[in-house]
This record gives sequence, structure tokens and C-alpha cells, in this order.
Amino acid sequence: MITNFKRITKFGWQGFWRNKGLAAQVVFTMMVVVFIVTFLFLFRQVSLFLITETQKKVDISVYFKSDVSEDRILEVKDQILGFSEGIKSVDYVSKEQAKEVFLEEHQGDNLWMEALEEIEDNPFFASLNISAQTPDQYAYISSFLEDEPFASLIENVSYNKNKRVIDKLFQITTNVERGGLVLIFVFAVLVALITFNTIKLSIFSSKREITTRKLVGASNWFIQGPFIVQGILYSLFSVVIFDIVFFLFLLFLNSQVSSLLLDFNLLNSFKVNAVSLLLIQFSFLLFLGVISSFVAVRKYLKV
Amino acid sequence: MIIFKGITKIFQCKDRFITALENVSFEIEQGEFLSVVGKSGAGKTTLVKLLTKEYDPTKGDIIFKNLSVSSLWGRDLQHYRRKLGVVYQDYKLLYDKTVRENLEYIMQVLGASDESAQRDVPKVLDIVGLEGKKDNFPSELSGGEQQRLAIARALIHRPEVIVADEPTGNLDPYNTYEVINLLKKIHSLGTTVVLLSHNKEVVDALKKRVVTLENGRIIHDNPKGKFIL
Repeated sequence: MITNFKRITKFGWQGFWRNKGLAAQVVFTMMVVVFIVTFLFLFRQVSLFLITETQKKVDISVYFKSDVSEDRILEVKDQILGFSEGIKSVDYVSKEQAKEVFLEEHQGDNLWMEALEEIEDNPFFASLNISAQTPDQYAYISSFLEDEPFASLIENVSYNKNKRVIDKLFQITTNVERGGLVLIFVFAVLVALITFNTIKLSIFSSKREITTRKLVGASNWFIQGPFIVQGILYSLFSVVIFDIVFFLFLLFLNSQVSSLLLDFNLLNSFKVNAVSLLLIQFSFLLFLGVISSFVAVRKYLKV
Repeated sequence: MIIFKGITKIFQCKDRFITALENVSFEIEQGEFLSVVGKSGAGKTTLVKLLTKEYDPTKGDIIFKNLSVSSLWGRDLQHYRRKLGVVYQDYKLLYDKTVRENLEYIMQVLGASDESAQRDVPKVLDIVGLEGKKDNFPSELSGGEQQRLAIARALIHRPEVIVADEPTGNLDPYNTYEVINLLKKIHSLGTTVVLLSHNKEVVDALKKRVVTLENGRIIHDNPKGKFIL
């Protein structure tokens, strides 16, 4: 049993090494498969990052009437924070801070500056900026604020103004997640077909030898074994070579790639997820490599 | 030992039916040296393919030591094939293995140890005159050398029956004589030999039983026969 296992492994390695040209072609094709698997993995990381980053930029502002005191507004802030776990943060912006921000933003714009000087009082409202964990929370927060005791204190809520943008964002993020799953499924089928056909073609060149082995009385496992070993070697080499090339690519071009992805650090994500990514690549490729070899050789064993 | 019982083999080629063998019956005794002769297309190679169960007969059966070859499959078929040593007309060598590995493979199939392979392979290579080519691949050998390798592979595991389909087809007269002498020597050690040939001189010189095929039928079965075609 052990002797047979050793012989099968040796034959597999011999077949791989002696047909270097063919092996290189198979490994190169399977590197495309590893690329797709890696792309899908990193696509998910990037899309989650982009969704989170975009969500961070969305909030709703609650503007309070001029006669509402700061203490009362801070009480409302605490009540909002206690309303739902879906609320990430509530920031208080006083009338003075609002004016400062405005002045900063419109520095050098004389028309606005002159208009503000004309109005002697501070025309800005104190406000609370509310950020939620997910965009779907904003509708609940807005309706919560429209009821008493808050309604009489509030001048307006920016949600209704931003509703279309928030709803659109919610729709986009949901679609990206759903689309990602469909993409993963489609690519998984594609990858399986590429791997199967590549290995099938490499085994086709040994069709005559497989028949001969069968005619001299070799058992199916003694014939199939070396091809399965070759399938494992193709997978190993394609994963290792691809990962080295991809790592070097990221090492030199990470800043350029990151600037295209809203500062998502691809190299860092690759390093942090290296173990799980390697496991996914290996298990996926090994599974496909072994199954493809098994099925492709089986066809020629019917002698 | 081997009984061909009313063997008929018909091939279907699109909508045409071609009869390769028709109602062929004969018996091969253990330790016999039998020549099966006939022109090209007479059905000699089909007979070999039926014996190795590469093909199944359309009608009839082959009995090998009381076993129906048609009913063999799986492990039984593997064990049956290991009892045969076949020299194929198209050699059927393992082109991805060296000369030495081609012979070792047969021993490994039988589960022989590496030591016994290392002991027996050089002996057989010496017998067929390929000891200097042991590390060459079959594609680096001449036609005659490939044929000798095919013969060596058929001998290496000391099979009960050697079936040689045109084993001298690509050999010069000297090597033809050597191969025939080799087959006679193996036969003298008790191995059953079935020689399929269309070489008149070779068959006549043997002075052994000859079964003559024509158009898929036996037209002569002569115990001290001559090539009569």
C-alpha cells in the first residue's frame, strides 16, 4: 500500500516534470483561475469597504428652533442615542459652531460675508448630526423625531431633503451585495469549466498510455493516481506562483491601486487575509484539480 | 488452456456492418506453440483484441482456464490480463517512460519489489539487446528497437501465455531470427506462445501448428502445418 502510494507519487511528479511545456501551459491557465478566485475574494473586501465608507458620509441633521436651550438639545441627544442600537453617533453643533463652519467654507465670498454682517443676530440653528449603522435606519430615526415631544422643538429634519439620496444608496449597497453573490456564482462555474477543460486536454495527450496501462493489467487507482498527483501539483504551482507575482505587484503599485479604490489598502488586506485567502485558493483549486483529473482519466479507463 | 468457441465479431461502421471474424473455433493447449496466419485484414489482430478483452465478441466466447473472458471485469479482468504477455503490432509502449521504466512498470503493476525489478530488468534487456538503451525514451529508439522493447515487456513478468502480433514486422532478417529463437526458447521453458504473422518463411521454419485465417474464417488448422496462402 505504502509502496504503491510512493510509486504513484513518483509517477505523478515524473509526468509533471517530463512534460514541462504542457505543465507550464496548465499552470498558466490555472493561474487565471487563481486570479478569478482572488479577485472575488478581494472584490468582496473592497465592496464592503466602499459601502462602509459611503455610508459614513451620509447622516441626517436635526435643526432646533432658536428658543430651544442647549441643555434641552443635549437631553434630546441622549434620548436619540437610547432610541435604537442602529444609531452610530449623534454630534451636537451649536449655533456658534455652525456659523464658524459656514464662515470657513465661504471665506473670500464677499456676497455672503456682507449678507451676514447685515443680519446682526446669528441666523444659524443649533443642530444634531445623526449617523446610523445602516442607511435603512434613517427613515425610523426621522419618523421618531417627527412625533412629540420632539416635533415642537424642531425647525426641520434634513432627512426629507436627503431621502432620495439615502434610499438610492441603500438600494445600491443592497444591489452590490446581491450582485457580488451572483458574480461569485457565475465565476465559480466559469472557473470549474476552465480547470476541467485544461486538465482534460492535458490528460487527452496521455490517452494511449492510459489504454496501454489498462491492457497490461494495472488497477484503476494505479493509473488514475499519478494524474491526480499531477492535478495537485498544477494547483500548488499555480497558487504559489500567482501569489508571489500578485504580492510583488501590490508591493510596487499599492499606492496607485489604492488611489483608485478610495484609499482602500489592497496590500494590507492581502497580508491580513493571507491565510484565509491561501486556504480558499488551495481548497478550491485542489478540489477542482483532483475531481477534474479523476473524471477525465475515468473516460479512458473503459477498456 | 484457451478455447475460442464460435467467435463472431461484427463491427458497425455508420450504416454498414463488417464481419471481422465468423464462427471461429479452435483450442490452444497449455505449452503449445501456435501460429495464426493470414493476409492483412484476415482477422488476426481482432483475435488478439478479443483475447485481451479490448473487444467483446458479437457471438461466442473465449474460455481461458475454465473462465469466460467475456464475463470478466474489474479486478478479475486485471488479474487475467497480467497472465498474458502481449506484443502488440503497434507496440503500445509507454512513451512517457524510459526503456527501463517501461519494464519496471509491468513488475510494479504486479506488486513486485523494487529489488526484484532491479534484478530482472537488466537480464531481459540483455536478452533483447537493449541494455545500452535503458535510459532512452521509446521515441528515441528505431522501429526495430521499439519492437524488441515490446517483446521484452511481454516477457518480463513470465506470463502464462505470450501473444505476439507480427513481432518481426519491423525487424531485419538477423533480428527476426533472434526474436523467433527467443520465442522458441520461452516456449521450451513451458510458456504457451501464440504467434500471429503473415511472414511465410518464419512460420514454415517453426514447423509448429498453424491456424490459417481468411476473411475472418478458419480455412486450415494443421498440427505440423505450413503457411499455405
